[in-house]
Amino acid sequence: MQIIFYIAALVAIVSTAMVITRKNAVHALLYLIVSLLAVSVIFFIMGAPFVAALEVIVYAGAIMILIIFAIMMLNLGQASEKREKEWLKPRTWIGPGILAAILLAELIYTLNSFSPSAHEQAIIDAKDVGMSLFSTYALGVELAAMMLMAGIVGAYHIGHEKQKEYHRYLQKEEKL
Amino acid sequence: MISLTGLNLILPQLIIALAAIIVMLSIAVKRCHRFTNLFTLLSFAAAAISVLYIPRGSFGVSSLFVVDGFGKFFTVLIACAGFVITLMSYHYLNAREKRNEEYYILLLLSSLGALTMVISNHFVSFFLSLEVLSVSLYALIGYLKEEPAGIESGIKYLVLAAVSSSFLLFGIALIYMQTGHLDLSGIAAGLSSSGEFSGVFIAGLAMVIVGIGFKMALVPFHLWTPDIYAGASAPVSAFVATVSKGAVFAFLLRLFYSTGGLENKNVWTVFTIIAVASMLFGNWLALRQQNIKRLLAYSSIGHLGYLMVAFLAITDRGMQAATFYLVVYFTGMLAAFGTVIYMSNKKGEALYIDDYRGLFWKKPWLAAIFTTVMLSLAGIPLTAGFLGKLYLLTAGTEVGIWLLVIVLVVSSGIGLFYYLRVVAVMFAGKNENEASSEPVIGKIFPHGLVLTLLFLLLLWFGVYPSSLLEIIQQIASVIR
Repeated sequence: MQIIFYIAALVAIVSTAMVITRKNAVHALLYLIVSLLAVSVIFFIMGAPFVAALEVIVYAGAIMILIIFAIMMLNLGQASEKREKEWLKPRTWIGPGILAAILLAELIYTLNSFSPSAHEQAIIDAKDVGMSLFSTYALGVELAAMMLMAGIVGAYHIGHEKQKEYHRYLQKEEKL
Repeated sequence: MISLTGLNLILPQLIIALAAIIVMLSIAVKRCHRFTNLFTLLSFAAAAISVLYIPRGSFGVSSLFVVDGFGKFFTVLIACAGFVITLMSYHYLNAREKRNEEYYILLLLSSLGALTMVISNHFVSFFLSLEVLSVSLYALIGYLKEEPAGIESGIKYLVLAAVSSSFLLFGIALIYMQTGHLDLSGIAAGLSSSGEFSGVFIAGLAMVIVGIGFKMALVPFHLWTPDIYAGASAPVSAFVATVSKGAVFAFLLRLFYSTGGLENKNVWTVFTIIAVASMLFGNWLALRQQNIKRLLAYSSIGHLGYLMVAFLAITDRGMQAATFYLVVYFTGMLAAFGTVIYMSNKKGEALYIDDYRGLFWKKPWLAAIFTTVMLSLAGIPLTAGFLGKLYLLTAGTEVGIWLLVIVLVVSSGIGLFYYLRVVAVMFAGKNENEASSEPVIGKIFPHGLVLTLLFLLLLWFGVYPSSLLEIIQQIASVIR
């Protein structure tokens, strides 16, 4: 079990180092996803499958996709299409691919050989997480909600633009 | 399970949280700056008064919070500071920004973060409170969108606070790894069973010190302070200087006193170095400042250094001295920033010391108040600042931490220079080039009234401190 942890940890460190050394934001993101997947594998072998799933769904899934969308929305037009083709050269995805493959191999191996009863550590599943969030840490959850509210209100205020005075059809014509 | 009986213990926090939600919903219905401001004022007042309805004694609320005399005292202090800042914000915001209502949501939420932090008894609640406080502050600091400096300092604060939070989280993880607990009593128990401090635990504590030191702007972690104070609007600077720092200091007391972290010689030495550096550098860097907000920023670094002297005394007396000094510091800083708000106009704030030239001949009362505030911050007799420093010194000399005491005296001497420089400018001849014909923001009501009240408080605590000290003596022995 130890060796699996160390491999996953190594993958996490290598991919994070690659994140901060890449010059291209999209390449960095690919490595960042691998890094998050590696952390999720660590959570899994530590006996927290629910948190591992959350890590994949929330971070590697939702947040990363959001960032990629934001980058793509900012680069529209012919030039960016060409650039996107360049981004998809094997040279760029082969590194993250290999690291992700290592993690996949680890996961398959663990799923085959790993039985919770044989191991001494307790498995913390979704029910346990839910129970503690709604009993011991209920006030903490409320506080986190307040933090999100502060974030949303702040982002709304800072991001709010002055309303244009002219009608939107006129605005379109002006662009033409 | 959480029971409804426990909820009356956190009544002030609930009031502020509810107020933030109501203000948000009221904006959705109709924007009205006057109503929002009044409602925020009322909720701060209600939060302060509701403390009276909390029974005496020390109660735990769902293992995350502990409500005791110490927590209640700081709750009142923060609610009062929030009240004063709200009162001073109304005309300021009217003059300088069009959409003002969100400001009060953010102000309420950041006060909520501070209010929950002072009763935190658990790293989870501490970290969440800290994030509520910081996330609202990011937006508050950059609130005036027309000001490039405000947005710039907002982003600076965002990046630096995020880095310091990650330090803090890693430190908490290391402490958890060593003791197996996140609640402070559990950490204390885990420590006493193992006896010696292990390397991992010390590393964890060091990282927590980095995170807390950043929030309190102690010297190696102070670089953000002048820029953020100068860039943010004056009411927000006042908030950062008082509420944000005071709440973190309250948790620092709780953390290190209840876990006994200061009993380790190395940790104590690190704090001594931080305190000495804060006192010296804070006062030294303020000497040549022309910008009054930067001057106050450096002066606040120095004041937090003074507070650390009482913190390092580890006695009941030290605790009382620190609490007393914090009240005096809150009053002084609020009044100082209140004067800056008073003197500001539509175009900009009265940032430079020259803006106050000859103030005595134009507005003698305001000049008298500002002089008293500066003298109190400097620690001249008959003002509260003097007695505050006197208590810090007695707390220090009692346990014989001579290095800290001597540095305190020396740096106070250095500090005297720049405080008196401001006073001298106010009494100097009239400003020849009256550049700004804009009227000042300050009005007799509320600014004049609030400033007079804070001025009277500074004199009252300076002449007759026992009224405050009696309360402090009751609460300060509870924490240990």
